[in-house]
Amino acid sequence: MLVEPITLGITGVVILAILVVIGMHVAYAGALVGLLGLVMAIGVTRVIPGEGTWVDAFIAGFNPGIGIAGTIPFEELAHYSLSVLPMFILIGYMAFHARLTQGAFYCMRMWFGGVTGGLAVATVFATAAFAAVSGASTATAAVFSRIAIPEMLRYGYKPGFAAGVVAAGGTLASLIPPSGILVIYAIIVEESVGRLLLAGFIPGILSAIIYAFSIWLRVKLKPELAGPSVNADWGTKFRSLGQMWGIIAVVAIIMGGIYTGWMTPTESGAVGAFVIFCLALAHGMTWKQFAHGLTESARTAVMIITIIWGILILVRFLGFSQLPAEIEGLVMGLEMNRYWILLIILLMYAILGMFMDAIGMLLLTLPLVQPIIISLGFDPVWFGIIVVKMVEICLITPPIGLNCFVVAGVRPDIPLLDIFKGIWWFFICDILTIALFVAFPGIVLWLPNQMFN
Amino acid sequence: MNTTSPPADSVLHKVDQAYHSLEKTLNYVAAAFLFSLMLLACAEVVARKLFNSPIHGQADLVEISIPTMGFFGLAYCQRMAGHVRMEIVINTLKGRAYWLFEFVSNFATIIICGLMIYGSYFHFLRAYEIGDSTMDVELPIWPPKLIIVIGFCILMGRLIISFFGYIQMLRNPDGPVYAVPQKHDIEDVVEAEAEAARNAISDEDVEEELERESRTGARNHEERR
Repeated sequence: MLVEPITLGITGVVILAILVVIGMHVAYAGALVGLLGLVMAIGVTRVIPGEGTWVDAFIAGFNPGIGIAGTIPFEELAHYSLSVLPMFILIGYMAFHARLTQGAFYCMRMWFGGVTGGLAVATVFATAAFAAVSGASTATAAVFSRIAIPEMLRYGYKPGFAAGVVAAGGTLASLIPPSGILVIYAIIVEESVGRLLLAGFIPGILSAIIYAFSIWLRVKLKPELAGPSVNADWGTKFRSLGQMWGIIAVVAIIMGGIYTGWMTPTESGAVGAFVIFCLALAHGMTWKQFAHGLTESARTAVMIITIIWGILILVRFLGFSQLPAEIEGLVMGLEMNRYWILLIILLMYAILGMFMDAIGMLLLTLPLVQPIIISLGFDPVWFGIIVVKMVEICLITPPIGLNCFVVAGVRPDIPLLDIFKGIWWFFICDILTIALFVAFPGIVLWLPNQMFN
Repeated sequence: MNTTSPPADSVLHKVDQAYHSLEKTLNYVAAAFLFSLMLLACAEVVARKLFNSPIHGQADLVEISIPTMGFFGLAYCQRMAGHVRMEIVINTLKGRAYWLFEFVSNFATIIICGLMIYGSYFHFLRAYEIGDSTMDVELPIWPPKLIIVIGFCILMGRLIISFFGYIQMLRNPDGPVYAVPQKHDIEDVVEAEAEAARNAISDEDVEEELERESRTGARNHEERR
């Protein structure tokens, strides 16, 4: 043979890295390397050893290689499970106009305003509630900067602290369903979309509780960070739930629908989107806002669908090259404790997350990382939640820390440095949360396993 | 970067604008598809749960509509620079060096787009000649496959316009920027999010919220430290 498949695989990965670094779109870079890799991988098996040249191999592999790649956009996309993505995207864009942010914040303030650091605790739980209708972390941070920060500042909360709470709270949207990133993960690793969505629920709530606890502790230690706590009576508390019914309805539809199996994830998403759409109409969404939300949803859907087929062409090539299996064998041969290997993988994500957007980072690495995780005996659903938690950390840590930038963008009066200073407690919280999930995988897996029993 | 408007007599600019209207229209089609998909799925739930009569073939329809959604808006997404990429390196470049990298990326994308047109066309042709259809209600499967080919062809048009756009930028790197996808800094992303949040929650909304708090606060709250 002209060249071993594994050499082709390594070459492909190197070229891919170069293309991505010089700024080519991840989807097209993946597709290009995957397609040409397929051509060569097939070509080298068809030329006579010792006689054929590279050009012969290229010509021999050209039609079959392109033939395989050409089938992928249709064959890999026309799956029912993928149709949940556009529905979730739609919910997120419509939720902007349904006044759900204000309702959630008001309600949580009534319930948690009385505890130490009450407004900040309420903000965290309100972002968690809003996360139930939104899968986008940066958007969640942006809307809560509009609503929660003025309120906290009025009560004398320190600006950096208030901004940090909003930036960290925004990250919860990636975990709590509907979460776009969990669906993408499920499709790439061929896991059940429903299982992953359910798996994100408890860890998302737990993350919010840990955030809230850290706020409480911090304000106890340093009372000047926060303002006075204000308590509402029980009547007000229960009446305030009325402001939340839109969110409660969507949670019930999505979680209930998937959990009981009454509805497919797509149908749950569609009914949820319809409810939010009606709410937005009732709150005076204009035609212009509607059209804008819809075209933005379509564009986001195209972005995600494109990167999925692009990466799947790459995955097909990597399969031919046997690179994933080789790397897996190499790692297994190390005979290291599997938790050390996991730690190394997570550190790699922490570093990559400094340079790349979450979707790109996951799709580029999972084809190689996933087989390792499986053969180490970790549950792929559980790993999905851990990885998304890593993505959340990248959203609040320098140098990118997009959520912090977004909060500073909405509130130019709060210096970015103060926000980053206000965030490091939440960073520690996230590390602790991940450690908790690693130590007790049951936290993640209990709910999805319930569904299947 | 210069933000002056492109020369009025630029053919490239006119072609870009005209082509962008086409892209926008197709993206509207994709958006309409998306909304119809939502309505269809809702209708299916109602029909199945309330009337116990599932809509015949809706799962098949949903499946073949996904490629449609993904490919009608493909060129629009390209023009709006909506795809995921890593910008941290090229954003450090200025002037001609920056445009050179963009030109190279765009050229590589032209290659993959051309190859995909070729590959997906044969995939369509096979389905058309055999008369392949979906599992359940036997909808013909070639139309969505054709849409994928068309989507790639329209993307190709956009990439060729960008090709000339980048050549134009390489010639005159400090001149007006036109006929190429917008550059996205982190500032642009942040500003877009902030703008969306301001759009969703107006200043009056914020005022109203603060006022509501004072009203209920006066009635129900007991302050304690």
